[in-house]
Amino acid sequence: MKINSFRYLVSQGLKSIWTNRMMSFASFCIMLVSLLMVGVSVLMSINLNRIIGGIEDQSEVVVQITDDISDEAIQELQEQIEMIPNVNTVEFYSKEEAWENMMEDMTEEEQELFQYADDNPLPDTFRLTVTDIQRMSETTTQIETFDNVESTRSPTAFADVLISIRRILAIISAAIVLALIIVCLIIISNTTRTSVFARRKEINIMKYVGATNSFIRIPFFVEGMIVGILAAAGALLLTKFAYEGVYNIFNDDFRLWNILGVQNLYSFDDLFWPITIAYAVAGALIGAVGTSISAGKHLKV
Amino acid sequence: MVEFKDVSVTYSSGVDALNKVNLKINDGDFAFVVGPSGAGKSTLIKLVLKEIDATSGDVIVNGFSLRKLRRRKIPALRRTIGVVFQDFRLIPTMTVYENVAFVLRVIDAPAKYIRSRVPYVISLVGLSHKAKSYPTELSGGEQQRVALARALVNDPQLIIADEPTGNIDPALSYEIVELLKGINECGTTILMVTHEHDLVRYFGGRIININHGSIAFDDVIGGSNED
Repeated sequence: MKINSFRYLVSQGLKSIWTNRMMSFASFCIMLVSLLMVGVSVLMSINLNRIIGGIEDQSEVVVQITDDISDEAIQELQEQIEMIPNVNTVEFYSKEEAWENMMEDMTEEEQELFQYADDNPLPDTFRLTVTDIQRMSETTTQIETFDNVESTRSPTAFADVLISIRRILAIISAAIVLALIIVCLIIISNTTRTSVFARRKEINIMKYVGATNSFIRIPFFVEGMIVGILAAAGALLLTKFAYEGVYNIFNDDFRLWNILGVQNLYSFDDLFWPITIAYAVAGALIGAVGTSISAGKHLKV
Repeated sequence: MVEFKDVSVTYSSGVDALNKVNLKINDGDFAFVVGPSGAGKSTLIKLVLKEIDATSGDVIVNGFSLRKLRRRKIPALRRTIGVVFQDFRLIPTMTVYENVAFVLRVIDAPAKYIRSRVPYVISLVGLSHKAKSYPTELSGGEQQRVALARALVNDPQLIIADEPTGNIDPALSYEIVELLKGINECGTTILMVTHEHDLVRYFGGRIININHGSIAFDDVIGGSNED
């Protein structure tokens, strides 16, 4: 095909968006709503995942160190722990710090009770966070084998709950997204089919004058792709407004989330490029492929 | 050239539309195909355009053996044929110029050639002043002349006119056939399906009468316009 013809076909595709503006608008709306529904549910799912991830990151393993060991031995133990791949951060928490913190948390009457204690009964500890919460108990077991470790405490039961919540949420959100994608594809294909059906005579005439299938399909392909991209742009804009609204609510009024150790939602800027690319690719692909497949059904003349 | 060799067509409904038809239309011929409704005229046209396949036998059109012709070669066959339909079948969203030019775009004709050829063909059918109009802005006769220009523009070897005067004013019917006759004089084979006997009697020429799926009559008669 000559470049001239290709240019003509592309211009025909663009022109027919305007010529068939009612159908184009219907396709645009359907695709916009579909992209928006899928997009919003994906965003919700990744943010939920992040929130749970944040809670997981807060789950600390406490390693009690044997009393009366030298600073060198403590240093050596810390290095040993840091060598474990699943260990994310390690922080030393001396018995003096622990004592001070405990006293701070007490009422004056309680403090008086402990004022006369001649010895600090609290141990030196390491507080560590892990990268993969699913391997938390494996990591603690490994730490227990090290010298100078008195005992370990880890919220494994809590970790297990978080793991199952995350797993269930992953399944539910995947199912919702999948169902939405299927529903949207059906609706979109029906819309494009209606749009193409209205122009079946046109396709028929083209066939009679000897147009090849690709010659007929290219304008439909271009038309579908442009409508899809426009729908993607619309969906992106709406997502931005809606998302930033929700994000600001979380940021301004629910600082409590942060106090509880829950991480913030992703900002829209963090997600701008992945969302833009996903919307554009999905919009263009669904529009173009959907429309040209629908056109193909009328090509057998 | 169009040749039917022992062609039979039986539709899936069991109807025998054509029954062992043998027919030859030579290059440069002008033939009227007549016959009552349901006689097999439309089936004949559909076969030539390879819209349907013969149940048995073979159809040769402009050197293409349609029995062996692959689907992807159908556009090549159709580019050697110009078709004029009873219902015009113009693309409503395109102007007269675009409707005619479209055929040349399909065959990848150079833009320069399109720019010179299309206005020329539109002038041949007397519609230069309507080149920018849309089909809906034209009368039936004018639409049919656009369809004729479209059929003519890529200089096909064969023009099939399927009841081209069926939807237009009887007075204009003669004009359309005159145009077809003019095209035929330049060497293009014309196959015109009609059931307007007055027209046939007036113009005369080769008459192929199809009845019950068989050729009942195939001969040349003199036209009353020659008297």
